[in-house]
This record gives sequence, structure tokens and C-alpha cells, in this order.
Amino acid sequence: MNETRLSTFQWTTLVTLRMLVGWHFLYEGVAKLLKGNWSAYGFLMESKWIFAEYFHALAGNATVLSVVNTMNIWGLILIGLGLIMGLFTRIAAGGGILLILLYYVCNPPFVGLFYSIPMEGHYLFVNKNLVELGALLVLIAIPSQQVAGLDRILYKLIKK
Amino acid sequence: MNEEEKSKSPGRAIDRRDFLQGLAGVPVIGAFALAALKQESFRRASRARQAAATAGGEAPAELRIALLGVGAQGSVLLNSMLKIPGLRFQAVCDIWTEYNLKRAGNLLKKYGHEAALYHDYREMLDKEKGLDAVVIATPDFWHADHTIACLQAGLHVYCEKEMSNTLEGARRMVQAARESGKLLQIGHQRRSNPRYIFCRDTLLQELQLIGRPVTAFGQWNRSAAPDLGWPKKYEIPADQLRRYGYDSMAQFCNWRWYKKLGGGPIVDLGSHQIDIFSWFLGANPKSVQASGGTDYYDKSTHEWYDTVLATYEYETPAGLVRAHYKTQTTNGSLGYFEQFMGDQGTLVISESAGMGLVYREKANAPSWDEWVRKGYLTEPKLIEVKAESESDSLDVRETISPDEHRIALQFNDPYHKPHLENFFSAVRGKGKLNCPAEVGYESAVAVLKVNEAVEARKTLDFSPEEFKI
Repeated sequence: MNETRLSTFQWTTLVTLRMLVGWHFLYEGVAKLLKGNWSAYGFLMESKWIFAEYFHALAGNATVLSVVNTMNIWGLILIGLGLIMGLFTRIAAGGGILLILLYYVCNPPFVGLFYSIPMEGHYLFVNKNLVELGALLVLIAIPSQQVAGLDRILYKLIKK
Repeated sequence: MNEEEKSKSPGRAIDRRDFLQGLAGVPVIGAFALAALKQESFRRASRARQAAATAGGEAPAELRIALLGVGAQGSVLLNSMLKIPGLRFQAVCDIWTEYNLKRAGNLLKKYGHEAALYHDYREMLDKEKGLDAVVIATPDFWHADHTIACLQAGLHVYCEKEMSNTLEGARRMVQAARESGKLLQIGHQRRSNPRYIFCRDTLLQELQLIGRPVTAFGQWNRSAAPDLGWPKKYEIPADQLRRYGYDSMAQFCNWRWYKKLGGGPIVDLGSHQIDIFSWFLGANPKSVQASGGTDYYDKSTHEWYDTVLATYEYETPAGLVRAHYKTQTTNGSLGYFEQFMGDQGTLVISESAGMGLVYREKANAPSWDEWVRKGYLTEPKLIEVKAESESDSLDVRETISPDEHRIALQFNDPYHKPHLENFFSAVRGKGKLNCPAEVGYESAVAVLKVNEAVEARKTLDFSPEEFKI
């Protein structure tokens, strides 16, 4: 980080990017939580590609499925909060990448795979999940939380 | 010193700047919470609206009821009524004593009703005292005599549709209701169905959701089926059958196909939906043309037409609407529904399976987002063109107009229950009938003319006076 210095504008855009991704994660989690009966079942059963069997197995066992559902909902919420507040940002971003990677390999937009769940756009290899994953990589690479976020305070406290 | 250096100076005390920038996420979380709460309150309001529509009421004073006719349709009504609190079933009458009458009596016993059983309705009316109302579900050609006798005995009457197989009979029923001062509800049960009421009152009238109505369509398709049979040991004696107007047991069981007894599928099925045309469009038809015939079944046992296509013209307050109706009893695909098309949208509704869809004409209709937020409609579903084959399915996930919304209001009770409840409420002096004799008569005028038009093979006009008594 020492070779290049970022301007206030550059930091602001990075922090904004973090907030946007965080907001999306948080509401994906909150909406599922408020819905009460949300389940990943449909999404998992749609799975294609080489991990399909594994995802179908997750969906097929009621106990496992309910653990998956709970972990997904709270994972999304905690990651969203972490990104927005800039708290444990790297862990949150890393967790986000892991989740998105799972979504991606569950239903990847590869050549020759067709899905019956409705999609609002057209994707080939790159879908919005992958774009968000890229954004999280940027956020791991450049620590915007040290400028704006609770990690800035945490960092100071630890260094003291 | 730029941002990065400042933040990277360890050992420095936390200053005001650290504090402010450290809490940069707080206003975002605040804004998020506000937005999420607002969104959630819309969702809850929509759910509460749906729940309110299916909520029940408190137990009222008991009404004493007699059932006249407990065959297939009578059993449907009885099963609905057993779910309505505050009814005491005091008597049941059916000429098929060994089968229908016993079955109904046993069912009532199971629910704690000790009903007296009769095969002759005059005897029942003579002996049973303290009755409040009679529910009639006999074959159509008996409706007039049964209804008039009950009204004259001082009882309120719920009579199944078709009101009568003749307009003369229907007219006598209206007059008897007027003279007796008793209530006469005709069993066009969709008129009390909360989903239909919501579509008519709210979607069509209040919101003018489909804009200017231009066409309507309705259909009822049924699979080909053999004639109804009966257990030989329960056969009604021939003289008993003749006394009540039937030539044979086969005719008794399949009365709907005979010209002197019923009206055929256009009356049994079509009447429900043609009634919806008039009700939703707010007008009686001004003409009808029709084509029909017994094309599939044996004409000697199926005097009425197994297939009928009819086209009406309605002069509505909004302009002329053409309405087409089809019933066929030879293929059940696509079931039954009614459809109304206007220049801004389409409404498709069916009594069956809770089907209620509206399609927005994107080119001409205003935004419906407000109706989604208010919980009238579900969120729009983009209609997708389904791939014809795998090879061309990559590019066909295009969104085309129109959007499809479901009607958010749900209704899970038996179909006839709200109409019966409406009748019993009116008997208790609470509220008005949803399908009083006059309305049932208008519907009979519109429907019975289809059979005339089939025979005449030309367009028949209605005069406004025909609908009045």
C-alpha cells in the first residue's frame, strides 16, 4: 500500500462499493428471515454441473437443509453488517466470497446448462454473483475499513 | 498527510476523526433499517388483508333447516352447511329413500342432528313445525313447485340454480317470493365468493384495472363420461318414479340430459359463468347466437346438447362487449374459468383451484405497483417464452408483455359456503341476499335463450322488458 497513495475520492468510492455490497448481503438475509418459511430447497434442487449430486443431497435431508437455511440466512446478515459497519471486514468479505462461490458452483451459467428458475437477465460464465465476488476481492485487497469503518478504531485499540 | 497515513499511525490516541469515520456505517444501517421496516409493513398489510378475508365469525342463534333433495348437489350443499355454525337440521326429504335419504340421515346423525326423513315434500311441510328455511337441490323441473310450496308455507328458501327449466316456472317463483314476503336465494354461488366479489367490486369497478372492457370469454370443459348408474338393489319402484315425473331409473339418475327435466350442460355449467358475464359487465345481454348439438353421445338418452358455443352482445355502461361461451362434455382439458379483456388488462378467474390472474397491458395501462403495495395483487411475474427445444433455449428467456399478477386474496372454504352463509345471514335479518329471485331470473332469461338460439340457428335479440317481472 505504501507505493501508491489513494485520493479521498478513491477511498470514498471503495467505501461506497463496500456499503453497496454489504446492503445487498444484509437484505438478502433479512428478507429470507422475515419471510419465515424461506428455504434453499428449490435453489439446491436446480443444481447442475459436477457438484449437483452433493447439493441435491443437502436439499434431500430435512435436518441438513434446515442447518443450511439457518447458516445461509445468518451468514448473509452478519456479512452484510460487517461490510457496512467495516467491522471484521476481511473476515466478512472472505465469508462472502465463500458463500457466493457456493451459489456459483451450485448453478453456474456455463455453456449448455439451462435453468427453470426465473432469471432477470442473460448470463454466460459471468453472472452477478461472480461480479459481486470480484468486488469482494477488491475489498480484501484494499482495506477501506482502515479509513472508514469500526476496524479503524479497532486497529488503533490493538496497536496501543 | 493523506487518509491512509493517518489511519496507519499506530499508537496514536483515537481522535474525533477516527470516531466519525469509524462509524461511517451507522447512517447506512439506519437507512437500511427504515427501508426494510417499510417494506415489511407493506408485506404484513397484504397478508393481514388476505387473512381477514378468510376469518370466521361468532356463533349466532340457531336456525331450523329442512333439506329438499339430497342427491349429488344436495350433498355438496349439506357438507358446506355442516361447516356453518348455528344450523339445526330438522328434516330431510328425497324420493330416493333407500339411497340419498338414508345417506343424508346417517351423515346428519354423525354430526348430532336427529332429522326426520320424508319422501314427499308436502308431507314434510305439513308435519314439520318451527322450520325457518328450506334448502332445495332437486332437479330443475321441480324447482318451481318445491320453492313455491315452501314459500307459501312461510319458509325462506335457498334454491339451487338453474332457477327453473322454464321461464314460466322462474316467473312464478319470483311472484311467490314477493307475495310471501319470504327470502328466495338462487344458488349462483360465485356471487358470494370473496374472490369474485373482490374482482368485481375492487379490481373492475373501483380500480378499473382492465380499462375499457371489450371482450369476455368463459368455458367449462368436462371429460367424456358414461351415464350415471345406480345400485340395482336400491332401485326406486316404477310407479313411484312416474309419480315424480321420471320414465325410468336411468332417466332419474341422468335427468340433466332430458328436455322436460333439465337444461343440459349450457344450463348446468354455463349458467354459472354466463351469470358472471352479466354481473361483472353490469348489464344484461342484448343478443345471443349459438351453435350446439348432441355430437358425441346417444341422442335418445342425451336430448340436450353435449357441446354448445354461444356468443352474446352486452351493451355495457362502458360500451359494447362481446362475450363468448363454450361448454363441451367430451374433453376436460383447461377446465373452467371466465376471462375479461379490456384495453388495459385481462382478468382470468375461476372458482376452481383459487385461480385468479390479471395481466397488465404494458402499452396502455398505468403502473399497478400501488395495487401490489396495497396487497391487492401479487408481485408481477415476467412471462417467459418457453423454449421449443433445447437447442434454441439459450436466447428465449426474453421478457415479453404483459406482466402476470395473481390476485392476492385467498379463499379456502367450500365453494358454496359463503353463498349459504349469505342466505342464513339474510334470514337472520343481517344483510341482503347476493342472488335474490329477480337476479336469478335475469340469469335464467340470458341462459335459457341459448338453447332457443341453437334450435333457431340465428341471432336472437333480448328486449330489456324480458328481464323484468
